[in-house]
Amino acid sequence: MSMTIKHTSNRILIADDDPVIRHLVTSIVTKLRYAPVTVNDGRAAFSLLKADADFKAAILDMSMPFLEGLDLIRYMRSEKRLIRIPIVLVTAEQSIKLMSDSFVAGATAFLPKPFTPDQLQNLLRMLLAAKLPSTRAA
Amino acid sequence: MVADLLRMDDYLAQSLTRPARVNHAAVITRAIDPDVIASLDEAWEEGEADLVVELIDLYLGDAPQWVEAMRAAAAGDDATALKRAAHTLKGSSGSLGIRHVAETCRMLELSCSESAAVDELLQQLNRDFAAARAALAAERMRRVT
Repeated sequence: MSMTIKHTSNRILIADDDPVIRHLVTSIVTKLRYAPVTVNDGRAAFSLLKADADFKAAILDMSMPFLEGLDLIRYMRSEKRLIRIPIVLVTAEQSIKLMSDSFVAGATAFLPKPFTPDQLQNLLRMLLAAKLPSTRAA
Repeated sequence: MVADLLRMDDYLAQSLTRPARVNHAAVITRAIDPDVIASLDEAWEEGEADLVVELIDLYLGDAPQWVEAMRAAAAGDDATALKRAAHTLKGSSGSLGIRHVAETCRMLELSCSESAAVDELLQQLNRDFAAARAALAAERMRRVT
Protein backbone atom coordinates (compact mmCIF):
# COMPACT_ATOMS: atom_id res chain seq x y z
CA MET A 1 0.00 0.00 0.00
CA SER A 2 1.45 3.33 -1.01
CA MET A 3 1.08 6.58 0.91
CA THR A 4 0.90 10.04 -0.66
CA ILE A 5 2.23 12.90 1.41
CA LYS A 6 0.87 16.28 0.37
CA HIS A 7 3.07 19.29 1.05
CA THR A 8 1.21 22.57 0.69
CA SER A 9 3.42 24.89 2.69
CA ASN A 10 5.46 27.63 1.08
CA ARG A 11 7.54 28.22 4.19
CA ILE A 12 11.33 28.44 4.04
CA LEU A 13 13.44 27.99 7.15
CA ILE A 14 16.24 30.54 7.56
CA ALA A 15 18.79 29.91 10.31
CA ASP A 16 21.52 32.51 10.75
CA ASP A 17 22.90 34.27 13.81
CA ASP A 18 23.90 37.35 11.80
CA PRO A 19 20.98 39.83 11.67
CA VAL A 20 22.29 41.44 8.47
CA ILE A 21 22.42 38.17 6.53
CA ARG A 22 19.17 36.98 8.11
CA HIS A 23 17.36 40.11 6.99
CA LEU A 24 18.89 39.97 3.52
CA VAL A 25 17.84 36.33 3.04
CA THR A 26 14.40 37.01 4.51
CA SER A 27 13.86 39.89 2.06
CA ILE A 28 14.78 37.72 -0.91
CA VAL A 29 12.63 34.82 0.24
CA THR A 30 9.69 37.18 0.74
CA LYS A 31 10.25 38.72 -2.68
CA LEU A 32 9.95 35.25 -4.20
CA ARG A 33 6.55 34.89 -2.47
CA TYR A 34 7.69 32.33 0.05
CA ALA A 35 7.06 32.66 3.76
CA PRO A 36 10.28 32.99 5.77
CA VAL A 37 10.56 31.31 9.17
CA THR A 38 13.66 32.65 10.91
CA VAL A 39 15.72 31.43 13.84
CA ASN A 40 18.87 32.95 15.31
CA ASP A 41 20.99 29.90 16.05
CA GLY A 42 21.46 26.20 15.40
CA ARG A 43 19.77 25.05 18.58
CA ALA A 44 16.59 26.98 17.77
CA ALA A 45 16.62 25.50 14.27
CA PHE A 46 17.01 22.00 15.72
CA SER A 47 14.14 22.54 18.19
CA LEU A 48 11.90 23.79 15.41
CA LEU A 49 12.76 20.93 13.06
CA LYS A 50 12.03 18.35 15.76
CA ALA A 51 8.41 19.52 15.80
CA ASP A 52 7.89 20.93 12.32
CA ALA A 53 8.80 19.45 8.94
CA ASP A 54 6.58 21.68 6.84
CA PHE A 55 9.23 23.58 4.88
CA LYS A 56 9.82 23.96 1.16
CA ALA A 57 13.53 24.55 1.79
CA ALA A 58 16.05 25.38 4.49
CA ILE A 59 18.77 28.02 4.26
CA LEU A 60 21.30 27.35 6.99
CA ASP A 61 24.36 29.28 8.03
CA MET A 62 27.38 27.08 8.58
CA SER A 63 28.76 28.85 11.63
CA MET A 64 26.10 29.36 14.31
CA PRO A 65 26.10 29.22 18.12
CA PHE A 66 25.23 25.91 19.80
CA LEU A 67 24.85 23.84 16.64
CA GLU A 68 26.51 24.32 13.26
CA GLY A 69 24.81 24.15 9.90
CA LEU A 70 26.62 20.94 8.99
CA ASP A 71 25.28 19.20 12.11
CA LEU A 72 21.76 20.36 11.26
CA ILE A 73 22.12 18.93 7.76
CA ARG A 74 23.20 15.56 9.20
CA TYR A 75 20.19 15.60 11.51
CA MET A 76 17.80 16.50 8.70
CA ARG A 77 19.14 13.75 6.49
CA SER A 78 18.73 11.21 9.27
CA GLU A 79 15.02 12.00 9.71
CA LYS A 80 12.58 10.56 7.20
CA ARG A 81 10.12 13.45 7.58
CA LEU A 82 12.86 16.04 6.82
CA ILE A 83 14.81 14.22 4.16
CA ARG A 84 12.90 15.70 1.21
CA ILE A 85 13.68 19.33 2.19
CA PRO A 86 16.31 20.96 -0.06
CA ILE A 87 19.06 22.56 2.03
CA VAL A 88 21.25 25.53 1.11
CA LEU A 89 24.35 25.87 3.28
CA VAL A 90 25.60 29.45 3.49
CA THR A 91 29.11 30.18 4.69
CA ALA A 92 31.83 32.84 4.67
CA GLU A 93 34.44 30.08 4.76
CA GLN A 94 36.10 29.59 1.40
CA SER A 95 36.99 25.95 1.78
CA ILE A 96 36.77 23.19 -0.79
CA LYS A 97 36.81 20.66 2.05
CA LEU A 98 33.81 22.30 3.74
CA MET A 99 31.97 22.36 0.44
CA SER A 100 32.74 18.69 -0.05
CA ASP A 101 31.75 17.83 3.53
CA SER A 102 28.47 19.68 3.17
CA PHE A 103 27.51 17.71 0.05
CA VAL A 104 28.55 14.45 1.69
CA ALA A 105 26.35 15.36 4.68
CA GLY A 106 23.42 15.99 2.35
CA ALA A 107 23.37 19.68 1.44
CA THR A 108 21.58 20.39 -1.81
CA ALA A 109 23.50 23.59 -2.56
CA PHE A 110 26.41 25.55 -1.17
CA LEU A 111 26.33 29.37 -1.22
CA PRO A 112 29.52 31.24 -0.30
CA LYS A 113 29.28 34.66 1.37
CA PRO A 114 29.24 37.33 0.24
CA PHE A 115 26.46 36.60 -2.21
CA THR A 116 24.26 38.94 -4.21
CA PRO A 117 20.47 38.88 -4.01
CA ASP A 118 20.46 37.65 -7.61
CA GLN A 119 22.62 34.65 -6.75
CA LEU A 120 20.32 33.55 -3.94
CA GLN A 121 17.19 34.22 -5.99
CA ASN A 122 18.47 32.17 -8.90
CA LEU A 123 19.55 29.36 -6.61
CA LEU A 124 16.15 29.22 -4.91
CA ARG A 125 14.32 29.39 -8.22
CA MET A 126 16.38 26.49 -9.47
CA LEU A 127 15.91 24.41 -6.31
CA LEU A 128 12.20 25.09 -6.08
CA ALA A 129 11.34 25.26 -9.76
CA ALA A 130 8.97 22.33 -9.51
CA LYS A 131 7.57 23.46 -6.20
CA LEU A 132 6.41 27.02 -6.74
CA PRO A 133 3.90 28.20 -4.14
CA SER A 134 0.30 28.30 -5.24
CA THR A 135 0.07 32.07 -4.62
CA ARG A 136 2.57 32.71 -7.37
CA ALA A 137 1.30 33.67 -10.81
CA ALA A 138 1.72 30.96 -13.42
CA MET B 1 25.92 61.60 13.09
CA VAL B 2 28.33 64.47 13.88
CA ALA B 3 30.65 61.99 15.54
CA ASP B 4 30.50 59.78 12.46
CA LEU B 5 31.32 62.68 10.17
CA LEU B 6 34.21 63.70 12.41
CA ARG B 7 35.54 60.15 12.17
CA MET B 8 35.17 60.37 8.41
CA ASP B 9 37.25 63.54 8.38
CA ASP B 10 39.90 61.83 10.52
CA TYR B 11 39.99 59.06 7.98
CA LEU B 12 40.31 61.50 5.12
CA ALA B 13 43.14 63.32 6.86
CA GLN B 14 45.07 60.06 6.87
CA SER B 15 44.31 59.08 3.33
CA LEU B 16 43.94 62.16 1.14
CA THR B 17 46.48 64.79 0.27
CA ARG B 18 43.93 67.59 0.57
CA PRO B 19 41.76 66.61 3.54
CA ALA B 20 40.03 69.97 3.68
CA ARG B 21 38.20 69.20 0.42
CA VAL B 22 35.90 66.43 1.47
CA ASN B 23 34.36 64.43 -1.36
CA HIS B 24 31.64 62.38 0.33
CA ALA B 25 30.92 60.27 -2.74
CA ALA B 26 34.57 59.27 -2.90
CA VAL B 27 34.58 58.40 0.79
CA ILE B 28 31.52 56.20 0.40
CA THR B 29 32.95 54.49 -2.68
CA ARG B 30 36.27 53.92 -0.95
CA ALA B 31 34.69 52.18 2.05
CA ILE B 32 31.69 50.49 0.40
CA ASP B 33 31.74 48.58 -2.87
CA PRO B 34 29.22 50.39 -5.11
CA ASP B 35 28.59 47.21 -7.12
CA VAL B 36 27.37 45.43 -3.99
CA ILE B 37 25.07 48.32 -3.10
CA ALA B 38 23.77 48.31 -6.68
CA SER B 39 23.05 44.57 -6.48
CA LEU B 40 21.10 45.13 -3.26
CA ASP B 41 19.18 47.95 -4.90
CA GLU B 42 18.20 45.60 -7.72
CA ALA B 43 16.39 43.47 -5.15
CA TRP B 44 14.33 46.47 -4.12
CA GLU B 45 10.81 46.87 -5.45
CA GLU B 46 8.75 50.04 -5.52
CA GLY B 47 6.68 50.46 -2.40
CA GLU B 48 9.05 48.43 -0.24
CA ALA B 49 11.27 49.83 2.49
CA ASP B 50 14.80 50.57 1.29
CA LEU B 51 16.66 47.30 1.84
CA VAL B 52 20.05 49.03 1.94
CA VAL B 53 18.92 51.39 4.71
CA GLU B 54 17.54 48.45 6.68
CA LEU B 55 20.78 46.51 6.28
CA ILE B 56 22.88 49.56 7.22
CA ASP B 57 20.82 50.01 10.40
CA LEU B 58 21.21 46.34 11.32
CA TYR B 59 24.93 46.42 10.57
CA LEU B 60 25.58 49.57 12.59
CA GLY B 61 23.61 48.10 15.47
CA ASP B 62 25.35 44.73 15.40
CA ALA B 63 28.91 45.22 14.15
CA PRO B 64 30.30 47.24 17.12
CA GLN B 65 29.71 44.28 19.45
CA TRP B 66 31.84 42.06 17.20
CA VAL B 67 34.64 44.64 17.07
CA GLU B 68 34.49 44.83 20.87
CA ALA B 69 34.38 41.03 21.11
CA MET B 70 37.58 40.86 19.05
CA ARG B 71 39.31 43.36 21.32
CA ALA B 72 38.21 41.44 24.42
CA ALA B 73 39.23 38.10 22.90
CA ALA B 74 42.67 39.47 21.97
CA ALA B 75 43.11 40.89 25.49
CA GLY B 76 42.19 37.51 26.93
CA ASP B 77 44.32 35.52 24.46
CA ASP B 78 41.22 33.69 23.31
CA ALA B 79 42.03 32.81 19.71
CA THR B 80 38.83 30.80 19.24
CA ALA B 81 36.58 33.68 20.27
CA LEU B 82 38.64 36.08 18.17
CA LYS B 83 38.31 33.85 15.13
CA ARG B 84 34.58 33.47 15.57
CA ALA B 85 33.98 37.21 15.96
CA ALA B 86 36.19 37.97 12.95
CA HIS B 87 34.38 35.35 10.89
CA THR B 88 30.96 36.77 11.73
CA LEU B 89 31.92 40.38 11.02
CA LYS B 90 33.62 39.30 7.79
CA GLY B 91 30.35 37.77 6.62
CA SER B 92 28.08 40.71 7.31
CA SER B 93 30.66 43.25 6.10
CA GLY B 94 31.14 41.39 2.85
CA SER B 95 27.40 41.22 2.26
CA LEU B 96 27.15 45.00 2.45
CA GLY B 97 30.29 45.52 0.35
CA ILE B 98 32.29 46.92 3.27
CA ARG B 99 35.42 45.55 1.72
CA HIS B 100 38.24 46.82 3.96
CA VAL B 101 36.54 45.68 7.17
CA ALA B 102 35.80 42.31 5.55
CA GLU B 103 39.42 41.93 4.40
CA THR B 104 40.89 42.92 7.78
CA CYS B 105 38.53 40.45 9.47
CA ARG B 106 39.66 37.77 7.03
CA MET B 107 43.28 38.45 8.00
CA LEU B 108 42.37 38.42 11.71
CA GLU B 109 40.67 35.07 11.23
CA LEU B 110 43.83 33.68 9.65
CA SER B 111 46.22 35.27 12.18
CA CYS B 112 44.16 34.84 15.35
CA SER B 113 46.96 32.97 17.16
CA GLU B 114 49.74 35.46 16.39
CA SER B 115 49.50 38.21 19.01
CA ALA B 116 51.78 40.73 17.28
CA ALA B 117 49.83 40.45 14.04
CA VAL B 118 46.53 40.59 15.92
CA ASP B 119 47.48 43.86 17.65
CA GLU B 120 48.37 45.46 14.34
CA LEU B 121 45.28 44.14 12.60
CA LEU B 122 43.00 45.35 15.39
CA GLN B 123 44.40 48.85 14.93
CA GLN B 124 43.75 48.51 11.23
CA LEU B 125 40.22 47.30 11.98
CA ASN B 126 39.60 50.38 14.12
CA ARG B 127 40.53 52.60 11.18
CA ASP B 128 38.57 50.55 8.66
CA PHE B 129 35.52 50.36 10.86
CA ALA B 130 35.55 54.11 11.58
CA ALA B 131 35.72 54.78 7.85
CA ALA B 132 32.97 52.28 7.13
CA ARG B 133 30.72 53.66 9.83
CA ALA B 134 31.11 57.18 8.49
CA ALA B 135 30.50 56.05 4.92
CA LEU B 136 27.43 54.03 5.90
CA ALA B 137 26.03 56.96 7.86
CA ALA B 138 26.55 59.21 4.84
CA GLU B 139 24.96 56.67 2.48
CA ARG B 140 22.03 56.28 4.83
CA MET B 141 21.52 60.02 5.05
CA ARG B 142 21.68 60.32 1.26
CA ARG B 143 18.90 57.74 0.94
CA VAL B 144 16.53 59.00 3.60
CA THR B 145 16.68 62.71 2.78
